[in-house]
Amino acid sequence: MKLNIDGLLVYFPYDYIYPEQYSYMLELKRTLDAKGHGVLEMPSGTGKTISLLSLIVAYQKAFPLEVTKLIYCSRTVPEIEKVVEELRKLMEFYCKQTGESNNFLALALSSRKNLCIHPEIMHANIVVYSYHYLLDPKIADLVSKELAKKSVVVFDEAHNIDNVCIDSMSVNITRRTLDRCQNNVDTLQNTISKIKETDAAKLKEEYRRLVEGLKEANVARETDVYLANPVLPDEILQEAVPGTIRTAEHFVGFLRRFMEYLKSRLRVHHVVQESTPQFLKDIFEKVCIDRKPLRFCAERLQSLLRTLEIADIADFSAVTLIANFATLVSTYSQGFTIIIEPFEDRTPTIANPVLHFSCMDPSIAIKPVFQRFQSVVITSGTLSPLDIYPRILDFRPVTMASFTMTLARTCLCPLIVGRGNDQVALSSKFETREDFAVIRNYGNLLLEMSAIVPDGIVAFFTSYMYMENIVASWYEQGILENIQRNKLIFIETPDAAETSMALEKYQEACENGRGAILLSVARGKVSEGIDFVHHFGRAVIMFGVPYVYTQSRILKARLEYLRDHFQIRENDFLTFDAMRHAAQCVGRAIRGKTDYGLMIFADKRYARADKRGKLPRWIQEHISDGSLNLTVDEAIQLSKHFLRQMAQPFRQEDQLGLSLLTLEQLESEEVLQKIAKIAHQT
Amino acid sequence: MDEEPERAKRWEGGYERTWEVLKEDESGSLKATVEDILFQSKRKRVIENHGQVRLGMMRHLYVLIDCSRSMEDQDLKPNRLASTLKLMEAFVDEYFDQNPISQVGIITTKNKRAEKLTDLAGNPKKHIAALKKAVDTLCVGEPSLYNSLNLAIQTLKHMPGHTSREILIILSSLTTCDPASIYELIKTLKSLKVRVSVIGLSAEVRVCTVLTRETGGSYHVILDESHFRELLMLHVKPPPASSSSECSLIRMGFPQHTIASLTDQGAKPSFSMSHLDNSSGPGLSLEGYFCPQCHAKYTELPVECKVCGLTLVLAPHLARSFHHLFPLQAFTESSVEELQEDRFCQACQGELKDKIIFTCPSCRSVFCVECDLFIHDSLHCCPCCIHSQSTS
Repeated sequence: MKLNIDGLLVYFPYDYIYPEQYSYMLELKRTLDAKGHGVLEMPSGTGKTISLLSLIVAYQKAFPLEVTKLIYCSRTVPEIEKVVEELRKLMEFYCKQTGESNNFLALALSSRKNLCIHPEIMHANIVVYSYHYLLDPKIADLVSKELAKKSVVVFDEAHNIDNVCIDSMSVNITRRTLDRCQNNVDTLQNTISKIKETDAAKLKEEYRRLVEGLKEANVARETDVYLANPVLPDEILQEAVPGTIRTAEHFVGFLRRFMEYLKSRLRVHHVVQESTPQFLKDIFEKVCIDRKPLRFCAERLQSLLRTLEIADIADFSAVTLIANFATLVSTYSQGFTIIIEPFEDRTPTIANPVLHFSCMDPSIAIKPVFQRFQSVVITSGTLSPLDIYPRILDFRPVTMASFTMTLARTCLCPLIVGRGNDQVALSSKFETREDFAVIRNYGNLLLEMSAIVPDGIVAFFTSYMYMENIVASWYEQGILENIQRNKLIFIETPDAAETSMALEKYQEACENGRGAILLSVARGKVSEGIDFVHHFGRAVIMFGVPYVYTQSRILKARLEYLRDHFQIRENDFLTFDAMRHAAQCVGRAIRGKTDYGLMIFADKRYARADKRGKLPRWIQEHISDGSLNLTVDEAIQLSKHFLRQMAQPFRQEDQLGLSLLTLEQLESEEVLQKIAKIAHQT
Repeated sequence: MDEEPERAKRWEGGYERTWEVLKEDESGSLKATVEDILFQSKRKRVIENHGQVRLGMMRHLYVLIDCSRSMEDQDLKPNRLASTLKLMEAFVDEYFDQNPISQVGIITTKNKRAEKLTDLAGNPKKHIAALKKAVDTLCVGEPSLYNSLNLAIQTLKHMPGHTSREILIILSSLTTCDPASIYELIKTLKSLKVRVSVIGLSAEVRVCTVLTRETGGSYHVILDESHFRELLMLHVKPPPASSSSECSLIRMGFPQHTIASLTDQGAKPSFSMSHLDNSSGPGLSLEGYFCPQCHAKYTELPVECKVCGLTLVLAPHLARSFHHLFPLQAFTESSVEELQEDRFCQACQGELKDKIIFTCPSCRSVFCVECDLFIHDSLHCCPCCIHSQSTS
């Protein structure tokens, strides 16, 4: 159908539209009009993707000079495929409606084997790819450098964007990395000496270029052709590469020295934590490496690899990593920390020294994106509380809105189970972790649920260790055996192959009526990116609050940094992080309006306002005061009732007019007023 | 009807929070309550039935009753099994009342096995007796959909093509324990044109959704006991015959009930053929129905003659099935505000409290929802039309 969104003609390839989609498009248009950034939260399964695509494409067609390109970033390959599928539908609809042939070009980048290097693709109107292509400085430089300024960037499923930013800027160095780096450097050395005999002119040419400095890059950046690279700071563009590393041999020697220094640092017996200036001072004292050449390391290595015409860059990942580390450590005096640990926490007897160069400020990686592109939209099903994202990513959005799901029937049922039948408080907090009463009551909850929930149940624990303890204890108490009478049990493990096997068998058991329970871990593979539609997840049980492991030094450093620089209290951030993961987990069960599922929060701490308030609004509004501190029995009764209600026939006509609109319905005054209420501005 | 209240008694119902139901109603139109949706579907059923469709009048129905562990659940009173069996008795009665030339068989499943409780037969008494006896069965283990469907197929597949083959499953358990892939069996069911319907007692199970969708049956889940009864009664009405089922003429015999008067010297008492195989029951009698073809005697109809295989029925039996073919027209729906006259239902004489009323298109009489349903489900004719016909 054709929609009129605030004066803009939008082609929408479906006959019906959800009210929240309309509302979402209004907000999105406002963002684009203002040429600013936006944070939009809308529940999964309400058609975020198609709303985004149809509005932005319409905007591009209406104002070809204002917005030239749409860059759509998603997380995984299946998600990218989904986007392309929707886009195809939209384009077909355009062709049918306007009668014109398609002059829009969309491009999806997934892997090298699907890569096309035809020059025409530079002018694609829509680019769909993974986050990393834009955020990871190593890849962004290759892929995204030349994207026009007047682009709209969309980060879908962006609830974890800060972690992606941090990961892309962090470096971990182990002994193995250094060993491989050693090999790389040896190869470099050999290649250089070979080239020197055959083609000395080439190296001379490179030397000349380096003397002239990085002027070209500087010109390009000033004229705003390229996306800034956080690894290539502005200041160094104005300078020439320092003399000490200008010739290839000197540079290789320099790298060797740097590596030897790192090796010596890894020979520690206790944990060391230092800031980047401390590190620089130490390196200067020990091996006389100055700050300046370090800063040019990454750029210099790139130049060398180009000159030596090395085809397979992947082989040189280790040395590239070290060079990037050198540049980062010498560029940023803030926002990073260096932690050297002689062993892992779990295995304190086995020496496995690691140097964590850890980024604590996600805004560093994403800053160029915000600065360069006129509109950046961050969207996901779970972005609550909305205001924390602009704070930790350090940007100023023009629109922030959270949309609820309009429902013809309440198809989600969040329940907070705070007590067992014996009134023992249920909680995964540290003090009661080993408490038999709590474990038994958790087991009882799962047992009773397994008897009343059809097909699939997904249960999430806070960590692998906690899950192992509880399951072992259930086994001893005979609870597991009783559960198995009702459903089969599958367990997620850290091993990817095992988990995907378990997942496959789980789905089979759901399909053929046997019924199954999947025990998995929040923050694990299952909790992110795997959907449990319809019968694959009729209930999600969240055992405990999934706080991150707080004893990690990296986390401690990050919390400290957040407190000092963004005025975010440790506890606030930890709770925010725990709740977004909890929301992600329980959100796995509802993937659309015809779907339904129970969401069981089994921990009394969820009832507290500071936890509950951080859940997405579309979940929060269904938690009634009465379901805040239920016992297991009460929860079972409510669930039984809910499941029977949901099993009643439900047809499209029942949704029409309430949660599904035709064009005529959309144009009525009354509906428009209702729509205005959907978006919740913050 | 009179002994069964509208809804289960308050104290018998599950744990519910009445205050929240109230709140939902007030919060406006966003949350259309499920009751509303249910009401709509009820109406829909009445409307759907109309139009001239070919109905499968001769039905062969197997009812599978789950007797697994979960039937001991007490959310239906006194427990699921007892409640189900009681409703089944009513169902069997109603079924033979509405479908006199059809047959029913009952299968139970527990402990991963399936057992035949009664064979396909046209006599309600036998079934009801078996159901009464079954109350004491022990509910253990898991049910097996595969085994019980397989057992039903073994008999149903020999049924002639012009009759309908149906299976109704009453499933309480949420799991099924199958020896092989049930999806293969669903294919077989489909190819044999067996219609499988399911009434779930606890929640929607995926495999049942697929099973019913593939075989063209219906799938419902009960809310409470009265809803359960309603859903069961849905299956009393014959389903539309699939276009592929064969048409054929069926030979039927209409035996007369003859009572040899005691004064008649030539009268000889004789055995009923139906009592030959089981020793119980009355033995010799004077009166009975005599097959017009072979003169075998039967005390009860309808029956298939054991000697010559002729279907023996009474004319009233056929007449009772007749209304399915010429159903009463749907009444027109309108708002109560449009009504000018007294707001009384013409049938029950009660005040019209609901917002919607129903008008008979031929005599313009006004009815309430309940009466509308009663007229269409049970009476099959408009009382006011009949009344005016008889007076004129």
